[in-house]
Formats: sequence, C-alpha cells, structure tokens
Amino acid sequence: MPPFPSVELLEDARGAAVVVVRGQLDVESAVRVRRELVAHLAGRALSSLEIDARGLERGDMSGMVILHELRSGVFTQGVRGPVVGLRPELEKLLVAFPSDETLRRVEAGPPELNVAEEVGVATLSVLRDARTQITFLGSVTQAVTDAARNPRRTRFAEALRILDDAGANALPIVSLVSVLTGFVIAFESVQPLARFGAQIFIADTIGIAMARELGPIMTAIVLAGRSGTAFAAELGTMKINEELDALRTMGLDPIRFLVIQRIAATTALTPILTAYSIVAGIAGGAIVMRTIGFSSAAIRNELLSAVRASDVAFGIGKALVFGSLVGAVGCLRGLETGEGERAVGRSATRAVVASIVLIIVVDAIFSVLGYVLRT
Amino acid sequence: MSGRGGEAAVVVDGVAVGWDATVIQRDLSFEVRCGEVFGILGGSGSGKSTLLKAMFGLHPLLRGRILLEGDDLAAARGAARGRLLRRFGVMFQSGALLGSLTVLENVRLPLDEFTDLDDAERELVALAKLDQVGLCPAARKLPGELSGGMQKRVAIARAMALDPGILFLDEPSAGLDPITSAEIDALVCALSRGFGITSVIVTHELPSIFAVIDRCVLLDGEAQTIIAEGRPADLRDHSTDPRVLRFFRRETEQGASVP
Repeated sequence: MPPFPSVELLEDARGAAVVVVRGQLDVESAVRVRRELVAHLAGRALSSLEIDARGLERGDMSGMVILHELRSGVFTQGVRGPVVGLRPELEKLLVAFPSDETLRRVEAGPPELNVAEEVGVATLSVLRDARTQITFLGSVTQAVTDAARNPRRTRFAEALRILDDAGANALPIVSLVSVLTGFVIAFESVQPLARFGAQIFIADTIGIAMARELGPIMTAIVLAGRSGTAFAAELGTMKINEELDALRTMGLDPIRFLVIQRIAATTALTPILTAYSIVAGIAGGAIVMRTIGFSSAAIRNELLSAVRASDVAFGIGKALVFGSLVGAVGCLRGLETGEGERAVGRSATRAVVASIVLIIVVDAIFSVLGYVLRT
Repeated sequence: MSGRGGEAAVVVDGVAVGWDATVIQRDLSFEVRCGEVFGILGGSGSGKSTLLKAMFGLHPLLRGRILLEGDDLAAARGAARGRLLRRFGVMFQSGALLGSLTVLENVRLPLDEFTDLDDAERELVALAKLDQVGLCPAARKLPGELSGGMQKRVAIARAMALDPGILFLDEPSAGLDPITSAEIDALVCALSRGFGITSVIVTHELPSIFAVIDRCVLLDGEAQTIIAEGRPADLRDHSTDPRVLRFFRRETEQGASVP
C-alpha cells in the first residue's frame, strides 16, 4: 500500500503560511493533492509561503509539477516560497523544471500564412507543377527515342514484370467490375424499355455503352487504382531511399531505366484489358437478358446489328490513350515525391486522383471529337 | 520511481526468439539489475534488436518468459497490461516521432493519454523532459525540422514522459556522428546515474559500449545464443573466447586488427 498523500496548512496571524506535504506525490496522486491545495489556499491573502516537504516519501515528475506550481505561486495568488526538506532524489526532479528564462527561449512554431501568401504559394506550386509536367513529357519522349535507337540498352525484362503484375493480375478485378456493370445497366434498362415492349434493345444499350464508354473507362480506373498508385509508391520509395540518385550517379537516367517500361506496359495492356472488359460487360448484360426470356441467338443477332466495328475501335483507341496517361501520371508523381516517409503516401494519392480526373477529361474530349467528326 | 539496489529490473528466463519457424536466438537467460545500464551486444543480424523488442512485448517469444519489475508482460491483459506498459519507455532506432505533431506534442502524448493533470501542468512536465535532453527551445518545431541526433533526444524525452523505471534504447547512436553519439551516451549516463533509471541498450558501437555500459551480454549469430556476459572492459581484457575478443578488439575473421 503506497503512503497516502496529505496536505496541511499552518498559518500564523500575520498571514505567513507553511504548507506541509506528506506521503507520495506521483502521477496517481497529483490531482488529489492539487484539489486539497486549492481547497486550503483558495482566496487566502498570504504574506509569505514556505513548503515543508520533509514528509514527502515518494514522487515522480508528474507529481512534482504540483510542487513546482505551488512554489511558483500558482495556488497562492502569486506568493512564491521555497521548498524545504525535500529528499535529494526528489530535489533532482524538482530542479529539472525549466526556469522562466528557459521557457522564454522556446522558439515560435512556423508562422501562419495569410490569404495573400497562401494564394501566392498555391499559384507558384501550380506553375511549378506545369513546368515539371512539360519537362517530364520532354524527357519521356527523348528516352523513348533513345530506346528505339538502342534497343539493346533498354531493360525489357522490367516491362514484362509490370505486364504480368498490372495486366494478368488485374484480370479478376476487371472481370468482376465489368460483368457487374453490364449486369446493372441491363437490369436498370429492363423496366423503362418494357413499357414500350422494347426489351430487345437492352442488347444495343449494353453493347454500345460497354464498347464506346464503360469498357475503356472501367479498365482505366481499375488500372489507375492498382498500377498508377503502385508506380507512384514504388518510384517514391526509391527516391526516398536514394536509389534514384544512385542510378543518376551511375549515369543511368531513371526515366529511361524505370519510367518508359512502365508507360509502355500500361499502354500495351489497356487495349487488351479493355477488349476483355467489353466482352465481360456484354456477358453480364446477356445474363440478365437470358433470365427475362431472350434466346442466345436473338441476343447475338441484336448485338451484331447494333455494335459496329468502329465503336469497338473507338473504345480501344481511347484505352490506348488512357493507358499511357495512367502510366505517365503514376511515374511522374513517384518521381516528384518529396522528403519523408509520408510523402510516398501523398504521391500515391495524387497519382490516382490526377489519373482519374485526366481519364474523365480526355474521355470528354474524345466524345466531342467523335461527334464533330461524324457530323 | 521504483526502489533499487541489487534486485532485478528485468529477468530473461530461458527465452528463444525468432520469426515463425526460424529460431534466431535460444536459451537466453540473464538479469538486468535495478539502476544499471545494461547492454545487449552482437553483430548485425545476431537478433539483438529482436530480443529487445521481445523484452518490451512487441515480438512474441518462442519459448521462456520475461519479467519486468517482477511482472510478466506477455501474460498481462487489459488494465494490468496498460499499467505495466507505463512502467517502461522505449526509444526506437529511428526515433519514431510522429511527424505531424510538434516536438512538444510528441512528448506530451503519453501525459495527455495517461494522466489527469491540467493542460498547463502537462505542458510543463513535457517541457521539463525536453529541458533534460537540452531541447526546450525546439519545443514548437516539427520533428522533420530537427537533426537526427536531436530527434533521438526528443525520442528519449518522450520515452521518459511518465517517469518509467526502465528505459529500452535500440541503437541510440546508430547513424550519428561521433560527437552527437557521445552526447547521447552522456545523456543516457546522466539519466541512469542521476535518476536511477534502469537502461537496456542494444548497440554495436564500441566507444558507446565502453563509455556507458555497466554490464552486457554478447549474442552470437552463429552460436545462436549468449557467448559472454559481464563488464565490457573485463570481457575485452580477460576473455579467452576468440569470438568475444574479435568483437571487442575490432578484428576480422583472419585475425587482422583494424585500428
């Protein structure tokens, strides 16, 4: 059983007070001691203060802070007083509290920016971003030209590894997402089309939507989430571990060594995955059509008459652009990684956000171009 | 603060550590006495950091038990485990300060979580701890703005926030220049001699070993167990085991001494 803390106040007629603290004063008992001190001392006008700590047996820093406050006048309206009779090991704890002089030397934290400064900082960072993006585009173009001229010095093994990781391993999730998308669209179309007795046109809806829009978009978004972030994290970690610096000092350009393989892999992959996604989505729709009573032959005939080769070509052409975008953005964000471990996470997030935004923007451009070219 | 003298602060009893099926170290038994600076020494990959992590409960034991001031951390559950965790502090090799909090907030963290003191009092205690490691002026900075040595000193201050009886330090001088690492050594010495804190240090830096460590065990990666125990200077001067001599005299396998 640890010694119980107790506080006693001895005060003479002139207001000279002696506070006697006994027992233990540690993290467990500190709050109780403070409550007693406040109860004894609140509202009293003392002329002088002395703290008798001879009876104090044990304590730690969290307890001594109460004693420190007492002697600094926190409980006594500013009347300060010495601590007497403290055991040497506790005295060591009490003297460890920083003096007012030391506390004045605590430097201020980073200054807060005002609105004008924040606007300035944001503008500069947008400009700097644009600059790095243009530089990056140039470097990639140069590296690709170099690689085409010296195919022997390009590491194709790296590209194969990425093809495997970003392509083959992405099949299950692309399948799931595409089948369900086709399934849901077909399901949602059943009732509106039934009002006109036109359920057979579900096949047209699914076929055109998957081929022109959803196949490439879904594939690109899955790729951005899986591989774009992976590139950013991978290159970001390499940057933090100084691996990129090591490559540069050996005279190897990280863009030629690491980036173009990744961009090539995603560019080559996306059309294949997209074709697969289109088929999977249509299969998802076909399941719904079969369950509401259409024969396989009817579905096939309707699809073949609705979806033209140009629709599929349009979708796959878009996928080619999306793939290179996702690869390039992932690598760029990875190379741009700042200092510190958390920078890697931030790069991965920026990679996926930028990729998805760019995919949608480019998709819109394609739609407008497609419309203009047809009319 | 706990009593001291000859009794054991940490008892390691027949312990084996490793990863899943791979045993790194076996048959480890030793005691760390109250108030001493105890060293766990050994070459790279000998499992000394794994043993340290096992001592404060971050790594499961394959066999045996470890007592901290008489209590078995592995067997403690719930509130009892929480109380036991507050009786020791840990300084990780990298410092492991939370990067989004200021230095002061890092040191305050255990106080905020485990004490009922006022805001101002917690701040004062945290500042006192920072003052003990000489970093009061940097209290409002972020860890990223400090040098490696300063970060380690802040990590020591944080480990000490709740006045633990035992301090575990994982390679306190790794990656520091000789002067900074001597400063860390002096700090560990001051805390141990001045406040009676028991320290358990993992290191392989010879200058640190001879400067601060009272007693040590030497782990060997090949033998997979303790090959020597005692005072570092005694082991260097009186051991007959060639492996021990190689470690303390910085000799290569072939016996060539590297000054």
